[in-house]
Amino acid sequence: MKRVVPLEQALDDTIFGSKAVGLGQAIRDGLPVPPGVALSGAIVEAVAAGERPAIKEVVRWVRPLGGPLAVRSSAMDEDGAAASFAGQHLTLLNVPSADELSSALSKIWWSANSDSAITYRQRVGLFSRPSVGVVVQVLLDPDTAGVMFTKNPVTGVDERVIEASWGLGEAVVAGIVIPDHFRVDRSGRVLERKPGLKRIVVRGVPGGGTIEEKVSPELVERLCLDDDQLHELNQLAGRCEHVYGPARDVEWAIASGTLYLLQCRAITKSGR
Amino acid sequence: MTRRGAPVKVLQRVPLFADLTKHEVQQIARLFKERRFSEGETVVQEGSGGAAFFVIESGEATVLIRGKKRTTLKPNDYFGEIAMIDEGTRMATITASSELVCYGLTYWDFRPLVEANGVIGWKLLERMAKMLRAARED
Repeated sequence: MKRVVPLEQALDDTIFGSKAVGLGQAIRDGLPVPPGVALSGAIVEAVAAGERPAIKEVVRWVRPLGGPLAVRSSAMDEDGAAASFAGQHLTLLNVPSADELSSALSKIWWSANSDSAITYRQRVGLFSRPSVGVVVQVLLDPDTAGVMFTKNPVTGVDERVIEASWGLGEAVVAGIVIPDHFRVDRSGRVLERKPGLKRIVVRGVPGGGTIEEKVSPELVERLCLDDDQLHELNQLAGRCEHVYGPARDVEWAIASGTLYLLQCRAITKSGR
Repeated sequence: MTRRGAPVKVLQRVPLFADLTKHEVQQIARLFKERRFSEGETVVQEGSGGAAFFVIESGEATVLIRGKKRTTLKPNDYFGEIAMIDEGTRMATITASSELVCYGLTYWDFRPLVEANGVIGWKLLERMAKMLRAARED
């Protein structure tokens, strides 16, 4: 089904993929998700095949979002309990506008049909035709971003574990920096604040793509979250658990003082 | 901007499809998707699983087997079919030696195409036989 819908109308993960449906659910439940649209696997494949009606349809939906854009894969069986496709499928940050989307979608479709993705599918017994939906959202220009586990993924203790750094969360996700590390209990009490070594910040650049820049020396070891922001993150963790269930792995960002949820999925490994 | 499928004239120059009618090539062309590689980018890695078969439209690529350079692929050459046939691993590492524009057909489109088309199947058998003889001479 070649379809594009606003994220909040992405209901079927066999059409739009689990990331799109998860974010759609978050919006429907009032969580702070940046605006965006969900593209079905069929329309992504049609764009990758160069079908002009599909390209026109996607551009028609995406253009009102403006730019720059975050273009993320949303595979049908992505993030499942048995097989996680995280890291196999591409995410393209800072696609300048709807006009550059066709090439971005082609790259994402090929990432799901790459040798490494197929090797992974064979290894986990999922040697079936991949279908990859896509989420297109406005790319934030965050002051701080990172990940949060609503339950300690190492010890299994019922506490929030937050890792944060300056700029886009890719610095944390890709392991480019040693992020600040925080533990917060369910009441919001901060149990631990450990500054990292945040020498690099990842930011979008005009014209597309991202760049790694040096962080000014005084910010390298300065904590990038204050107690109010940690309290807000703890509240977000509670709301995510209420919507999705316990033990979540959350990607978040704070831009212009507003906390946003970027992704929420089940923790794949836990101490207990 | 990606193009719809592969240009028919590109596929008609590929030996694998040379004996097909224009109509047959037109049907096949729609299944292909454009894929671009930058100079120096690894296109396929020896030992990896194989996802797609490729035809080169423009640019060149270097073929290495166990680290030894074997040949250079040029426009109208094709590669990647062996892993499609036996669902095995890639037999060579192929690296783009210039900006490389290919058209790819994934396993899920390649297999039904060959199963349905004896002319293509025979061409593939001929190529396999040549490779066997070449391997014996090495």
